[in-house]
Amino acid sequence: MKKFMLTLAMGTALMASPALAQEKLKIGATVYGLNAEFMQIWTSALQQHPAVKNGEVDITIFDGRYDALVQQEQVNTMITQQYDAILIVPLDVEAAAAPVQAAVDAGIPVVGSNARVNSEALTAYVGSNDVEAGELEAKAVLDKMGCKGNVVILEGPIGQSGQIQRLEGNMKALEACPEVKVLEQQTGNWSRAEAQTLMENWLTSHAGQINGVIGQNDEMALGAIEAIKSAGLKVEDFAIAGVDGVTDAINAVKEGQMASILQDANAQAQGALDVAIKAVKKDYEPESDIWKQYPQMEWKDGTAKDYLVPWTPVTTENADKLLEARSKL
Amino acid sequence: MSDTNANSSGGWLGSDRRRLLIQEYGIFIAFVILVVVLSFSNPYFLTAGNISNVLLQTSINGVLAIGMTFVILTRGIDLSVGSVVALAGIVSASFATTSASAAVAGAPYPVFVPIAVGLAVGVACGGVVGAIVSRFAVPAFVATLGMLSAARGLTLIYGNGRPVPALVPEFRWIGTSSILGIPLPVIILAVVFAVSWWVLTQTRFGRYIYAVGGNPHAAKTSGINVTRIRFLVYVISGGLAGLAGMLLAARTGSALPQAGIAYELDAIAAVVIGGTSLAGGVGRVTGTLIGALIIGVMNNGLDLMGIQSYYQQILKGALIVGAVMLDQKRNQNA
Repeated sequence: MKKFMLTLAMGTALMASPALAQEKLKIGATVYGLNAEFMQIWTSALQQHPAVKNGEVDITIFDGRYDALVQQEQVNTMITQQYDAILIVPLDVEAAAAPVQAAVDAGIPVVGSNARVNSEALTAYVGSNDVEAGELEAKAVLDKMGCKGNVVILEGPIGQSGQIQRLEGNMKALEACPEVKVLEQQTGNWSRAEAQTLMENWLTSHAGQINGVIGQNDEMALGAIEAIKSAGLKVEDFAIAGVDGVTDAINAVKEGQMASILQDANAQAQGALDVAIKAVKKDYEPESDIWKQYPQMEWKDGTAKDYLVPWTPVTTENADKLLEARSKL
Repeated sequence: MSDTNANSSGGWLGSDRRRLLIQEYGIFIAFVILVVVLSFSNPYFLTAGNISNVLLQTSINGVLAIGMTFVILTRGIDLSVGSVVALAGIVSASFATTSASAAVAGAPYPVFVPIAVGLAVGVACGGVVGAIVSRFAVPAFVATLGMLSAARGLTLIYGNGRPVPALVPEFRWIGTSSILGIPLPVIILAVVFAVSWWVLTQTRFGRYIYAVGGNPHAAKTSGINVTRIRFLVYVISGGLAGLAGMLLAARTGSALPQAGIAYELDAIAAVVIGGTSLAGGVGRVTGTLIGALIIGVMNNGLDLMGIQSYYQQILKGALIVGAVMLDQKRNQNA
């Protein structure tokens, strides 16, 4: 938070001295909300980008406060203040299309990251494929169940792109196991406490019948684990998976309680910044290590429309390494 | 009050008191009907395990709603409790975690330290709000709206926007253990309820709270320190929010900065369903407890039947408005 305030202060100071500002690229990022751990990691990763650290780029971060209109106004502010490029992590697929168009009309390239915008005007999207995540996590659950038994699905807020796409992936995996029955499918609104209550109630109404839990994010899977524990059941008797690789989930994977797949916030943030810089400075070469880390995601001279950051399954082997990398951000 | 009015049910009762009792019975009857309907529509509803679940799921909102009752009885409102839940949860958790990145120096401390810290945070928030409301005559709605925003901001700054995980087992015990088969949070709720009932019905302080809410001017002229009473009810509400924050963190195993969002609304709903008047001076903590149980039973019952949570929200809305409509009608008839 201190670092963030400092950057804000520096940003303001630089605006006052146009001579200096011209040498430095001024890039702004609007993210849907800074309350969630994932966006915290995403923004710290952005600050750690080599081009930010060596002073080539000046980054300002705007907190969208979970309001599509707030994000739209932030983009307008960046247009008026003549930012060189904009990064956007939108709250909503559709609502972000208008501000993206406005920025592009004003000649400012916009790069999407983490969540999609339904707009052709985006320079590129650097994020992960949520359908794939939904399929991977459901497959982890079904594999542990041997393709037999009953599952429950804890969904994100109905209608959000993450929920829609992860469910699509969940269903894809479930099609491969026609014998598996979905007993319940309800929203836990990404929340651990809400999912915990749901699971407590399901363990009552489907006593002894639930074999697997597909949580569309880690928080809800962790809530299910707490419910199982408080019902006096054994977590090992259930196949449980989540998505995102939040710290608590990595620890739970280490203890053999669940499966999770890591969404690489670092690669999404740093990759998006590299693409944005390239859109402004034609002779730029990407400086982040992530392109070496994920050779399957090709740089293609910064001209591709989609950069899909691969998911990393969290395993007992890589858990400690992931936690260590996390502690640096 | 005379013995000539030898009505079998309420000969010794004043009309106000009788009306309150009828009202309370009304809510209690509604609660019983709900339980009967749900137990017929779902075979699992009345099992020991599920009853324990419902009580457990009601414990946090119950504790908050009881605190809210004190405030609403004085014609106030406390919108800050949800944010205070998050702040107290995350601050106390930072004294009870083994996670190196989230802990304060020297953590984990013996469990009474984080508990004391969590309560202190709640009491402090309540104290600030109480002072603003009672000394500076700022409307409670505005003062607590300010705290709702400020406490959430403090929570995010304190925890760097990240959760505090890896809480020590002794701390988690507050939310996860059972005594004689009864979950500890339920016992805590029972104790909070019993003490609050005693304070409101048996002590002078309790009578003053009703007096301040019923008619502040009359209370003042009769020598009650209205400022002090108004201050103290927010301290109680804040302290109970601190307690609820620790219960939540202990139950979920991690203190989250997004915890408790909109919890104030469920607490207010329980108070209103329980028959306490937002105009102050009228209401009972027993009604609040039943109100909280109605919300908990309804959510649980609909989950058991596999009904989408969106319908639960509609029903809760109807229940809140319906309860007040009945209340108004009864007041007109009386």
